[in-house]
Amino acid sequence: MSAVLPARASSDLHSSPASAGLGGAAQHPEVLTQIGLITRQVHDALHQLGVMPKLKEAASGLPDARSRLTYIAEKCGDTANRVLNSVEQAKAEQASMAKAAAALRGAKGSGMAASLDAAGVFALLDEIDAARDRTNAHLTDIMMAQDFHDLTGQVVAKVVSLALIVEDGLVALLRQAAVDEPVRKVDSGILNGPVVNPAGRSDVVANQGEVDDLLASLGF
Amino acid sequence: MSHPRDLKILVVDDFSTMRRIVRGLLKEMGCDNVEEAEDGVHALRTLQSTKFDFVVSDINMPNMNGFDLLKSIKADATLKHLPVLMVTAEARKEDILLAAQSGAAGYIVKPFTKAVLEDKILKILQKMAVAA
Repeated sequence: MSAVLPARASSDLHSSPASAGLGGAAQHPEVLTQIGLITRQVHDALHQLGVMPKLKEAASGLPDARSRLTYIAEKCGDTANRVLNSVEQAKAEQASMAKAAAALRGAKGSGMAASLDAAGVFALLDEIDAARDRTNAHLTDIMMAQDFHDLTGQVVAKVVSLALIVEDGLVALLRQAAVDEPVRKVDSGILNGPVVNPAGRSDVVANQGEVDDLLASLGF
Repeated sequence: MSHPRDLKILVVDDFSTMRRIVRGLLKEMGCDNVEEAEDGVHALRTLQSTKFDFVVSDINMPNMNGFDLLKSIKADATLKHLPVLMVTAEARKEDILLAAQSGAAGYIVKPFTKAVLEDKILKILQKMAVAA
């Protein structure tokens, strides 16, 4: 393999459109040979450290982790919509019952109660019973939709175990290659999102009260 | 002072679920005149073509985030009067200060309650009435 790596590197460089900019290296094949040897040494060192098998295992699990995370996102979205649909329908049932009750109360208040025929009252009671059953079904559906917590929780546990494998491998690699350089803060280019654990942090707020206090203290 | 029910409100959030929740809460406050946008770009285009009275915006969104939307609104002579209430999961103090300094009318951290949303909207309307 030692011989293969430099040969591949050389071939790739020559076939690449960018190779024009590497004319210096192409004119000095020993440089490419040296790069190949170093690459091989790093590869062997990683194997000896036992890092590579772990990272390979983790890397092979990454597509699986992606699909698991996608599953979580989809499951949460579906659940939210299912719950919101049920809530909207249950609210409509409640509004309909409230309207019917108000009509009945209005009839009583206007002295029309005596003219209400028994059949009409019983029809209203039947409708209230039916609306109550439909509302109950929506509530049951909301309760059942909470199964997403159990399902996604299990998937999260699997993704976390994969992340631990990656972390172990990277920590082992860092220990071997540690250099005394100050740690640079990584700018992810994205915002932070929800604060999972605000305890002990002075740079974040833990609740709306702290937001209000902060803004008030600055005159906003 | 206007009441929420008299307002035409634009709700900006990349999650349709959250837009739906905010719309539902606004409806419970009596406000039926609500439109939605899924990011800052869409929101800005909507604001430039239709007259709104109030904006409720998330911060962390693709294409154009809430901070950039807020700055664009405040830089636009025809839109700068619009009150923008930030509703976001971003809980860092520097983000809250940046929003306030950029002209946000209020800041709510998720998760939040209907009472908090209602309180913030009413306070903003009250402030606007005093300033007018």
